[in-house]
Amino acid sequence: MTVKIGILSFAHMHAYSYAACLKQIPSVKLVGLADDDPERGQETARRFGTRFFASAGALLGEKLDGVIICAENVKHRPLTELAAPRTPHILCEKPIATTMADAQVMIDVCAAHGTRLQIAFPVRFSPPVQRLKTILDEGTLGRIYSVKTTNHGRMPGGWFVDKALAGGGAVMDHTVHVIDLLRWFWNTEVTEVYAEVGYSLLHPGLGIDDVGMLSFRLATGAYGTLDASWSRPDCHPTWGDVKLEVLGERGIARVDAFSQNLAVYSDRTGKAQWVHWGSNTDLGLIRDFVDMIATGREPFITGYDGLKALEVALAAYLSAERGEPVALPLEREGGA
Amino acid sequence: MRHIGIIGAGLIGGMHAERWAQLPVELAGFYDVSSEAAAKAVGKFGGRAFPSLETLLAEVEVVGVCAPTPAHKDLVLAAAAAGKDVVCEKPMARHLRDAEEMVAACETAGMRLFVAHVVRFFPEYAHAKEVLDSGQLGRPGVIRTVRGGNFPAPDTQNWYTDFEQSGGVIMDMLIHDIDYARWCFGDVSRVFARGLTFSDVQGADHVLLTMRFQNGAIGHLEGSWAYPPGNFRTRLEIAGDEGLLEVDSLDTLPLSVTLKQEKATLAAGIPVPESPMHPTDDPYYREIAHFLACLESGDDFLVSPRDGLEALRIALAAIESLRTGQPVDVATFEEE
Repeated sequence: MTVKIGILSFAHMHAYSYAACLKQIPSVKLVGLADDDPERGQETARRFGTRFFASAGALLGEKLDGVIICAENVKHRPLTELAAPRTPHILCEKPIATTMADAQVMIDVCAAHGTRLQIAFPVRFSPPVQRLKTILDEGTLGRIYSVKTTNHGRMPGGWFVDKALAGGGAVMDHTVHVIDLLRWFWNTEVTEVYAEVGYSLLHPGLGIDDVGMLSFRLATGAYGTLDASWSRPDCHPTWGDVKLEVLGERGIARVDAFSQNLAVYSDRTGKAQWVHWGSNTDLGLIRDFVDMIATGREPFITGYDGLKALEVALAAYLSAERGEPVALPLEREGGA
Repeated sequence: MRHIGIIGAGLIGGMHAERWAQLPVELAGFYDVSSEAAAKAVGKFGGRAFPSLETLLAEVEVVGVCAPTPAHKDLVLAAAAAGKDVVCEKPMARHLRDAEEMVAACETAGMRLFVAHVVRFFPEYAHAKEVLDSGQLGRPGVIRTVRGGNFPAPDTQNWYTDFEQSGGVIMDMLIHDIDYARWCFGDVSRVFARGLTFSDVQGADHVLLTMRFQNGAIGHLEGSWAYPPGNFRTRLEIAGDEGLLEVDSLDTLPLSVTLKQEKATLAAGIPVPESPMHPTDDPYYREIAHFLACLESGDDFLVSPRDGLEALRIALAAIESLRTGQPVDVATFEEE
């Protein structure tokens, strides 16, 4: 069977990678893309040999098997509300939304229409990370004491630093990947978050948080930290990192998910660069989404997973505001 | 020529003696509450074993305080009263009040007190400070450090494993990086720590400390006595608004020897890495040589008694945070 997929918005740069992944899967037809920016949309459609649709509604009229939403964070909700009645499968870029209320509406509207909602947490498809999960599942480290993590990045700019569109800066952008991994590893939840959040600390005049240092406790009893900062300069040889160190009674396991790199030094580009030769995690994510559509199974990463990861990022902001640890789950306020 | 007396003939006392032997001074000898330990050190490093603190003080101009932390105060007070200059191991005391008395006693007696925060003398840390000060990294924003090894062996150094005496991994290990971070980024406004110190875990100690500096910068310091043996590691990362600096002992090992597992020794099959340095670049040599040079020139020490006291205050505030689960304001922190 041919799996017909459309992409709603290329505002998030991951859309380009997802489109390239779709083109690599023979059973997939990339039916088209819609974008608020017609110039970007037309150019991207040409690049991937597909059709440009002037509106999301028009693309959703094409009897798609699934859509991938890569709009700005705040637009995830309206696009999901638009797509849920018209397509049976949605893959939504992370974070799921910018508020708990929006995330819940997305989950509810998909449930009401029998649409399967998956959240894009590609790091679950990193083979080094998957190997760590196996090691943890086998109990190799014994009782787990702590997990120290980083998800560093360069400052992405654009709408990522516009609170009205992104919902927050580095903490919103870089908390959810690692928190999702930890929830997945141990089938657990974060129960408490303390955070030091820095605004314009590494980028004068940025006007949004660019440093986030989260200290948390898991329901397993383990404690941990996550550095979610945009602390890699523009000249850094790669975009950033996802690193995890799990300390247990029998030893320590360290994973650097994106360390399978070539070091390339070029006088032509004037730069040192790391070229990743490890497995493409985005391809793993897209294959999984297509497999879900083809087999009719439930999503591997659910809307609820997206919501619980978002909750930790929101709790971090709350903790920084209050200057004290915040207990989870957060109390849900109507319309918050 | 100055005569040097070392109090405390354990591991660190021997390390001091080895470095003094390379300098134009006379090692008078050792005093230790264990006359056996003193005799053993004399056999190895020369000088003579003094039967009492008083007899040692009567024959030297300079005292090295290398006894367990709780003994520091009385030894420094006695040395100051006897008109001796002192190099005192870190942490300078177990409690703030003790450290304040020590600083006051040396000031009153007009004697010089150098707190041996040796990390400032490690070539990679010293160079990192130079890079930071050169402005290449821009305005400092985030500092991350790691200092970790295995739990101290209970047979030889059991005072380390007694929290009341040593203050655990925060006071013995993390204080190195606390001092270094404060040297780089200035005074600390608050700390928040999670760790194993007050948990039910026996035979391991581990802390993840987040800190906020008065200039708004953020720190993340890991101290571990929980790694498997043979895995000592240090790491430093400083991010500024114009650059990033990283150094990791795991990545900077110019020499590694791996033996076939012919004999069933602990080291067999495990690479034994080394980072060889010229003897005059050895951090303990540089520290002791700096102390001597400042005694001769009258210049200020790189580490002032106030620096030693402030590092202790931050360490104790971190312990308080571990105990209470709350962030602790360093400036208003008072030890109970």
